[in-house]
Order: sequence, then C-alpha cells, then structure tokens
Amino acid sequence: MRALRRLWMRGWNFAARQSGEGRLREEVAQHIAFETEDNIRAGMTPGQARRAAMIKFGPVEAICESYHSEKGLPVMETMMQNFIFALRMMRKSPGFTAIAALTLALGIGATSAVFSLIQGVLLTPPPYEKPDQLMLVNSVRTDGQKMDSPRGWAAEQWMEWNKDAASFQGVAGYGWTFNFLIGNDGSQSMQGMNVSQDYFRLMGIKTIAGRGLEESDFAQGPVKAVVLGYEFWQRALGGDREIIGKTIRISRWSTPPTVIGIMEPGVRFLPSPGAAKEPNYDVNATVDIWVPAYPDPKEQKDPGWYVVARLRDGVPVQKGQQELAVLTSQGARAEKTFEGFGPQLQSVKDEMNQDGRRILLPLLGAAALVLLIACGNVAALLLVRGLQRQQEYAVRIAMGMGRAALLRLILTESLMLAMLGGALGVGLAYGAVALFKVVAVNAVPRLDAVSAGSAVLVWGLMAAVLAAFFAGIIPALRVLRLDPMEVLKSAGPKGTAGVGERRLLRAVAMLQTSLTLALLVGAGLLIRTMAKIAVVPSGYNTGQILTMSVTEVQDQKKWGSFHRQALERVAAIPGVQYAAFAWGVPLTGNNWPATMDIEGQPPPIKESDKTALPMRAVTPDYFKLMGITLMNGRDFRSTDDDKAPSVAVVNQAFAERFFPQSSAIGKRLWFGTRDKPGITIVGEIADGRTDDLTRQASPEVYLPLWQAQAFSKHLVVRTTADPRGVMVAVERELRAVDPTAAVEHVKTLEQIRDDSLASRTFAMRLLVGFSAIGSLLTLVGIYGVLSLSVVARRREWAIRCAVGAQHSDLRKLILGEGFRVIAGGVLVGGVLAVAMTQVLKTFLYEVQPSDPLTLIVVGLFFVGVGLLACWVPAWRAEKVDPLEALRYD
Amino acid sequence: MNQKTDVKQGTLALMVLKTLEVLGPQHGYGIARRIEQISGDLLSVNQGTLYPLLLKLEQEGSIDSDWGASENNRRARYYRLTKAGMRQLQSEVQDWQLTTEIMARFLAAKAE
Repeated sequence: MRALRRLWMRGWNFAARQSGEGRLREEVAQHIAFETEDNIRAGMTPGQARRAAMIKFGPVEAICESYHSEKGLPVMETMMQNFIFALRMMRKSPGFTAIAALTLALGIGATSAVFSLIQGVLLTPPPYEKPDQLMLVNSVRTDGQKMDSPRGWAAEQWMEWNKDAASFQGVAGYGWTFNFLIGNDGSQSMQGMNVSQDYFRLMGIKTIAGRGLEESDFAQGPVKAVVLGYEFWQRALGGDREIIGKTIRISRWSTPPTVIGIMEPGVRFLPSPGAAKEPNYDVNATVDIWVPAYPDPKEQKDPGWYVVARLRDGVPVQKGQQELAVLTSQGARAEKTFEGFGPQLQSVKDEMNQDGRRILLPLLGAAALVLLIACGNVAALLLVRGLQRQQEYAVRIAMGMGRAALLRLILTESLMLAMLGGALGVGLAYGAVALFKVVAVNAVPRLDAVSAGSAVLVWGLMAAVLAAFFAGIIPALRVLRLDPMEVLKSAGPKGTAGVGERRLLRAVAMLQTSLTLALLVGAGLLIRTMAKIAVVPSGYNTGQILTMSVTEVQDQKKWGSFHRQALERVAAIPGVQYAAFAWGVPLTGNNWPATMDIEGQPPPIKESDKTALPMRAVTPDYFKLMGITLMNGRDFRSTDDDKAPSVAVVNQAFAERFFPQSSAIGKRLWFGTRDKPGITIVGEIADGRTDDLTRQASPEVYLPLWQAQAFSKHLVVRTTADPRGVMVAVERELRAVDPTAAVEHVKTLEQIRDDSLASRTFAMRLLVGFSAIGSLLTLVGIYGVLSLSVVARRREWAIRCAVGAQHSDLRKLILGEGFRVIAGGVLVGGVLAVAMTQVLKTFLYEVQPSDPLTLIVVGLFFVGVGLLACWVPAWRAEKVDPLEALRYD
Repeated sequence: MNQKTDVKQGTLALMVLKTLEVLGPQHGYGIARRIEQISGDLLSVNQGTLYPLLLKLEQEGSIDSDWGASENNRRARYYRLTKAGMRQLQSEVQDWQLTTEIMARFLAAKAE
C-alpha cells in the first residue's frame, strides 16, 4: 500500500514538477531569513549574518538536486529528454524523416486497413448471448458420402432433442422465408426468419420496442403476429413507432399480421442451406421480418427445419454431438424417412467466419509482408544515419553516457519515427477502409458492419511499435560495439560504411527481395487465375443482357396473366431483342434442389439414396436469349402450360450421367412416385457453367415456367445495345401491368458475373497493390545499398582505374554485387512463395500454388527490374575521378 | 571539533511530529531550533533532510501547512499536525518505545 502511494506521489511530482521544488526553495529562503535575523540579534552585521546563515545551512543546490532525484521519476524524465531530442533530430532532417515515415506509413496503413476488416468481420462477435455455446446442427449422411443437396430436420426430430438432450440448454428450429410488404407504390421485398418458440430466448436476442414472440403467438392457422427487424423498420417504415400494434399487408398471406415488436439492430440470419439457391437469399444480411413458426402436426416428418442448439455451460461439443447422434439413430429406427442422416455440430461463430477468414487472413499476411519490407528500408536508413552520427555517439560515450542509455536514446528516435509513420498509416488505413467498403461489398461478408474505428488506431500504434523495434534494433545494437577511441581518432564525420555494415545491408535487401517475390508470386497466381477464368467457355452469353427480380405480389390467380402480359409488353420495347422469365439465371446461385426419380435408374431404397438435382424454370425464349445451343429434341413452347403434359429440358451433363448409352429424349422423371404420369424430357441443351465459372457443368433440369409457376424469378432481357438503356422502359411496362409489382435488383448479367468473382478480384487487386508497394520499396532498398557501396568503395575504384581497369569493368563489379543480392533474394523468395501461396489455394483456378511458369516469369521479371535499380549506382561509379578520389581520402 | 551527532535515520520524522504536537503550529526554522534545543544541542539537524521531510510528510497527509506571521511579523509557512499525523505519531511512539525497551534489555543482558 505504502509503496503504491509512494509511486503515485512520485508520478504526481513528476507531472507537477515545479511545485515541490519551488516550495523547497521558498522554505530554504525562509530558513535563511530567520537564521539571519537571529544572527543580527546576536550582534552580527547584516552582511555577516546572512553569510553565516548560508554557511550553516549548507549547499542549497545539492539539497534541491537530491530532493529532485528522490522525488520525481528520473526514468520518465530522461525519456522526456530523449523524446524532445528525437523530435529535434527529426526536425533537423525533414527529408530523412519524411521518407522513413512515409515508408513505414505504407506498411502500417496496409496492415491496419486489413486488420480493421478482420476486426469488423471476424473478431466482432455476433450479437447473440455467449455465442460460443451456439451450435448449428447440420445434417450429414451417416455413410460419410457427400450430400447432393442440403437437407434439414423434421420437426419431430428437433422437438425430441429439445425435450431429451441433456447436453443442451435448448434446441430451436428455424427457416428462411421471403415475402413482400405490399405498398401501393411498388412493393418491398423482405427476407425473414421463421423461428420456433424458443429461438429468441435461446439466441439471447431482444426487441427494442414492443414485445417479442410469446407462447400465444405460436398456434396453428394463419400467422397473426410478426416482429420486424430494426434495419427494415428504419428502411421501409422510416422508424415509425406507431407501427407497433398495427397490421401490415404481406403478399400471399390472407390474414394481415400485427406488428408486435421491433428487434434490436444488427441481428443477421443463421444459414438455411436449402434456401441458399433462392434468388433473394443473403445469409449475411440483417433479418427483415421474424415470423413465428408452429410445427404443423400433419407435417412433423417433413425435413424442412434448420436447427440451432445451445450447449449447457462447460459441456464440450463432442458430448453434445454424441448425444444427438444417439437420439437421431434411435428416431431413425422408427421412421424410415429419417434413415441415413446424422447430426454434425458446427459452432455458429465458425460458420459465420468461414468465408471471411478464407479471404482476410491471406490478405493480412500479405500486408504484414509489406510492413516487413518497409521496416527493412527504414532499418537500412537508420543504419546509415547511425554511421553518420558515430562521432556524436562516441562523444556521448566519452562524456560518460551509459550504453544502455544510448540504446534507449536511439530506440526512442526510431519509435518517434514509427509513431509518425503510424499516424500517417492510420490515416491511410481510414481511406483504404472507406475504399474497401465501396469496392469489396460482394467480396467480404458483412462488410457493412465494418468501420475504421479505434481498432485501427490501436492496431496502427501496435504495428508502429513493432516496426520501431524491427527497424531500430539492428542500428541500435551496433552502438554497443562502438569503440569511442577508434571513432574519435578518425576525425571527421564518417559518411561511409565498412565491410560489416555493407554485408548487413545486403542481407536486409536480400530479405526484402525474397518477401517481395513471395508477394509478386501471389499476385501473379491470381492474375493467371483471372486470365484463365476470363477465357473459360461459359456456354452462354453475358453481354447485353439485363436481369431483375420481378414478383407479382397480389393474387395467385393473376400469376399467369401478369407474366404473359409482362413478357409481351417488355418484348415490344424498341431495342429489346428477347425477353424471358427465369428462375436460375447463371451465377446468381439460384436453383431449386429437388429429389427425383429418373427412368432407368434403380429405385432408391433409403431416403438418403434419392437423386437430388438442381431444377430451373424458364419461359420459351430463354435458351435463345442466353445463346445456349439446343443439341437434341425441341425447345419449350408457349403451349407447354399447366394444361399440357409436363415436359423438361435437360443439359448434356444430365444426359451423359443418366443415359450414357441412349438418348435422353422421351425418357421420364418423377418427383413423387412412379405411378404418376411423370415429366417427359423433350430437349437436350449444351452444358453451361451456370453455378460457378470455375466448375464444370453439373446435371441440370429445366422446366417450363408456365408449368412450374415460380414465385421468385428474374426477368431476363436481351437488348441490341447497352442493356442499361432500356432499364426505365422495362420498369414502366411492368408497373403498367401491375403497379404493386416488386421490381428489384436490376443488374446486367455482366455485373452478376463480376459479383460472382468478387472475392477473387478483391484478393487480386489487393495483392497486386501490395506487391507493387513492396517492389517499389525493395527497389529503393537495393538502390540504396548499392549507392552506399559505390561511395564506400570510391578509393578502390580509383585504384582499380589507376592500374588500368576500364569503366565497363567497374560497371560489371557493381552490377555483379547487385545481381548477387537480387538473385539470392529471388531464390530464397521462390522457396518462400511456394510455402506461402498454399493459403491462396481456394482462390486459384487451373493454376497450382507452386506453378513453375509463374515462379520463373516473376523471378526473371524481378531480376530485370532489380538490375535497373542497380544501373544508376553503377553509372555513378564510372564517374569517379581516380585522381580526386585518391587525394580526397 | 563538532561534537554534535547526526540524527539517526528514520527518527527525524518522529521528532518533527512530536515537536508539532507539543508546540502546536510551527514554521520549519522553529522546528529545527526546537529539535536542537530539546536534544540539548547534542543533535544537529541537517536542513537538507528536514525540509524535504516536511514536504514528504505534508504530501503523505500527516501534516498540513498554511501561511502565517511569525513573532516578529515575518511571513512564514506554519506546519501543524493533522488527525492522520496524530495517529501516525501515536503508533510510531509505541514502536519506538518498544524498540528502545528491547535494545535496553539486550544491552543490559550479561553473559550467564
């Protein structure tokens, strides 16, 4: 306690250093005055009296000094002195300061910007209570095989878990839902969650106005109460508090539900894999509407629910997993449709961070390399400067400054430099984050929640301290070996480096070269990937096509007439070549996975053996519009409607997989049992990469939209000129058919294509940027090292010239030195690159991380550019006048 | 030549506190004089330790100071004991008495 108090006192005295000392001097003056008075009374003359008093008192200055060092914090005070000295040094050489600070700013800015993305996307926990306990219960095949398409759980199953599983605090079911808030001037789409009764409590989310869903809200029949998401409430209803207690009109719902509450902000979806192919599914969005879902007793066995469970405190994931597995297999014995599927727990946090981690961690690594390269340059700068200041250091040591104190002084200087760099870097990072939020919306999940806040500042400062250490430690340690006698003897400032320093600098430059090479290889691999993707034969056109999601929200009965009229009107717009409706536009990820039975295939025994394939639904002109070739049979006709026999068109991959020997035309498929008439395959189209440009086509089935009647779908329009030109006209025609129709997400197919490649594009751009900065810094580094070397070896050049060396010989020597540095760095960098680019694996397409071509091209490229950086110093070496150089030294 | 002993370490604070208890508010010079007088001029108070000690005691809250006028109308800083100082004095007096008693016994003990 006492010691603490003492420390506090010392700190206080340090802060208010004047007062204590002032008081002491005041008291001393007083004391002497009293003593003098007494002495005068004793009979001395005033002069004598004062003198005697002062002699008796003793050395005032020494008392004050010792008081000072006892009372204040001498360490802090030296630090302050060092700090002020460092500031003065920085001001004295603004050029050096600016270059060093800017160099560091680039590195610190790069890492801080990427880190703020990581902070916002990965490190900020979801707004659920104790999110680590929350587990998604995924459904997997018990035989370990991959599922054709995702599957959920039956209400009967999760309700039993909720009742019986002892490892869990509770289990809740949920699902994704999509609908429209009907407005008289166009309707608004809403993504929502159907949630079981325990969901809000289990996740620990609360309403901020009104009330949450209660037991009485869960019942059979039409939904009577809904909770709105905060963001949707703000966006669609202007944050109107009066809405609570009122009803809203929702498409396809016969009873308008009452809004009972508003959810807290920032609550997002849990994944519903089965709905992931829906046109409007976005798991990273905030939830617009919360709908109470009551398990219908008639559909208890329908596996349409996704399940989240909360582990009890301290229960390991393994135990919960085992318990659920046992319960599930028990249930499967009684119910045939449950057979073959088992639970697989995955923490909600892991699931959320999967995509973000995949892209952000490699980028953070790349940014860290840039920082290291920058540190290398600054270290070299500081080292050279340290050489120039050897005299000063020697004098300091000779005057009795301890080596440790000198070390502190030098490190303070590099710290100040790094802090300046850090401040600039944080500024850069703020700019970069703002830029990322514009360009990388589709590349990084939940980017909307990222803001460059205090995290960037903290990270920037941390990076600065680290950088100060890395850059400052080598030059600082050198003074430990400094021999003041030697330095002082060789009078005059020593501007050049010895063999040892030059070797050190060459090593730094080599290290920088190797790090840069790793960055360049990463960028090169991504560039090659993008180039390969650009020439992939997609199997369809992407140019001059406009898409938008169009939904008729009023009346199921009007569905057919709305869409037929809409097509007619849109197709009649001048400049429109074709118009079609489609569910399953390429690269949107849209389709509708369905289990089916195919003619000629053995009938499935278990539920998990059924074939599940992606379905799409289109109107007749779609294939022509997209430029997809019809290989066999016929296209859809406008007569293929709900009155005509069911037909389907399949792609080549489907035909090859299921009918390798014969033609698929005329064969049938069934969604239910084989006793129904089934669907006849009438056509076969060429394969297209509709899911992902980097993946081969998988079997696909297309149905006529007039028969499949999809609620969500895109209007696809092929134009003769720039598709954006007809946007307004198309929307006007749709509104003319039905003013309440929802027309959203207007995009060209090219935009959709770019979005599907967004994370690769973002990673590529960032890596290209980072490697450009890295290369520039490294080239400056190499240039610096060689320049120093040329100056240091001036005498040698002169002697060589004097004994007959030609200019070209000198040039060869310098270039040789540079080449050794660069080639060494490139070789080490190649090895480094092979090891590091493994993390990019998931981004690459038809390129291996250790792609030899990329390695060789990048290596040669850098050797070439590096030698250019050596050219100027080499040229300068030729300019050395041997006579003058010999005389000078 | 100088027969006076220096004040033993740690005892000066106790002397200062006791002086203030006996005399009431007093200025630094007065305290120094008083200590020298009481000790029968056997002790010489080193001013270099007295004043820093006064500042320290004040910062620790044992004493407090105020401006006042001395007997011959000289402005001076007067120190007085605070409640905390009073408590500290009592506990230190006890400690000291205990120490002297023990020391006395030790020194009185003979070989047996």
